[in-house]
Amino acid sequence: MKTKNLTLKIVVFIVLVLLTLAYLLPIYLMVSNSLKSIQEITTGNYLLPPSSPKFSNYTEVLFGSNRFRSEMLPRLLNSVIISFSVTALCAFFGGLGGFYLARTKTTFSRILFVFVGIALYLPYQAVIIPIVIIMAKTKLALSYWGLIFAYLILNVPLASVLMGTFFLSIPRELEEAAKVDGASRVQTFFRIITPISLPAYASVAIIIFIQVWNEFFLALSLASPRTQTVQVVMAEAKGTTLVLYNLQMAAALIAVAIPLIFFLFLGRYFIRGILAGALKG
Amino acid sequence: MFLKRSPKSKRDQLSFTDILVFVVPLLFFLIILFGTLTWTVYVSFTDWKTIAADYQFSGLKWYESLFNQRRFWIDVQNNLKWLILGVVPTVTIAIFLAYLLELSPFPGVESYTRTLILYPVAMSFIVTGTVWSWMYEPTKGVFNTILRGMGYEGLQFATNPATATYWLVIIFIWQFLGFAVIITQSSFRTAELQEMIEAATVDGASKIRILFSVIIPNIRSGLLILISLLLINSLKVFDIVYIVTFGGPGMSTDVLAFNMWISSFQQHLISQGAALGVIIFALAFIIIIPYTIYALRRWFE
Repeated sequence: MKTKNLTLKIVVFIVLVLLTLAYLLPIYLMVSNSLKSIQEITTGNYLLPPSSPKFSNYTEVLFGSNRFRSEMLPRLLNSVIISFSVTALCAFFGGLGGFYLARTKTTFSRILFVFVGIALYLPYQAVIIPIVIIMAKTKLALSYWGLIFAYLILNVPLASVLMGTFFLSIPRELEEAAKVDGASRVQTFFRIITPISLPAYASVAIIIFIQVWNEFFLALSLASPRTQTVQVVMAEAKGTTLVLYNLQMAAALIAVAIPLIFFLFLGRYFIRGILAGALKG
Repeated sequence: MFLKRSPKSKRDQLSFTDILVFVVPLLFFLIILFGTLTWTVYVSFTDWKTIAADYQFSGLKWYESLFNQRRFWIDVQNNLKWLILGVVPTVTIAIFLAYLLELSPFPGVESYTRTLILYPVAMSFIVTGTVWSWMYEPTKGVFNTILRGMGYEGLQFATNPATATYWLVIIFIWQFLGFAVIITQSSFRTAELQEMIEAATVDGASKIRILFSVIIPNIRSGLLILISLLLINSLKVFDIVYIVTFGGPGMSTDVLAFNMWISSFQQHLISQGAALGVIIFALAFIIIIPYTIYALRRWFE
């Protein structure tokens, strides 16, 4: 389908320029304004680069100050603890559930699959009230376990389908061979299937991690002051310290740094995960 | 058909340990999830309107009350706008963009564009919303600075009640475009479709003709998935509204999900919040039916 058509070249070129502008402008704005002083922002033009980069904005956002009280560092740690725990547990349980869904074709597994399918896209609004009640009653809301557990309930079905999609592409012969050698299903799963599925686990992990890291509704409704995540404190910073645009932009960059780094280095796995989620395998 | 009992083969038989390891964890999470869903339905039929729990049965009272509120119908209207405008332009642009990338006359364009438009998927709506509200800000915001620099008058963007929702939808499209392109591109890449394109090219069909009469009719399943995913995400939209306009000005950008949060956690009308949750779930359920049937067929074929 390669072509030397001139009109096509011009169209592609124009589209590329437009896309580049539309997608780099927000990043440019965040970076350049996060390095300005608030005076420079209020008196100058938002589009200009900073006259002298002020890296102290970042330390101010991380550790807080008199004018910026929602310091990010503890919230960053909260997000790290919650997101990494959920990711690891989800990948583990998702692998188990996915293996069952991919390998067992009974009426029960089909019914289970329908419920998993509904769970995949369940709006959080439909379950939030009972979850808040449970977390408050059990006092889980006061610790990380509240959010970790809530995210697990909501994300294990997704992880199962994603892992299952990958397992479907592994030939059964491998397991049959192990079975002949006398290995049980559990042994086969952990000794043979798991090692060759590590790339699949990486895809699922990055999808779940980014989803949980960026989740806002549940984090907002469930967070106690001690377990507030980055997203919640970002929303808070926008509401209360509206004037401090420079710090807001620095906070935004800090909030996206970890998932963005994962995306840039593990983009391949990320795309594979997205396609698996779209049932494309 | 697909629920037909398959012949019990020996490899489908699970031992007790197998069930404990592979089935029980997933079942456990599903039972809690659907348990909480049932609980929400139950709460929506009670009369719980303070912080303290009140499970007195009140029938459809809160649903009726919602249907009589102007706010609810504003939400429905806005959600409809989101469903249409969040999906139709995104899918259209994604198809054209994916096709352009397939035709790509320059080397390296594809991976560059992929990274460029996909990175927002890794960002939260909270961050995107913060940055975009800064671009939209009417007095000193980026867009108005540019517009005025070019000699035009500035726009009101998200502060004009009549058009605010549209500006919010643009953020959504910006965020999901890369995702949509990836899925569309992958549905181009089947052997059958490539052969058909090849054949049409040999027959001398123009590129645009190929797109409309060969490609689009043959990526229906890919489009079904993409449209379902976009519909469900625009139905669930909450973060963008919360961070950019907080439902305002007035109630002009309010949506069901946002109303649900306000009702439950600000006004403590728990039963009304639950009723809204049930309504959102019902809509989501309708959206994912075709998708689930398709997925079930593919999975167990």
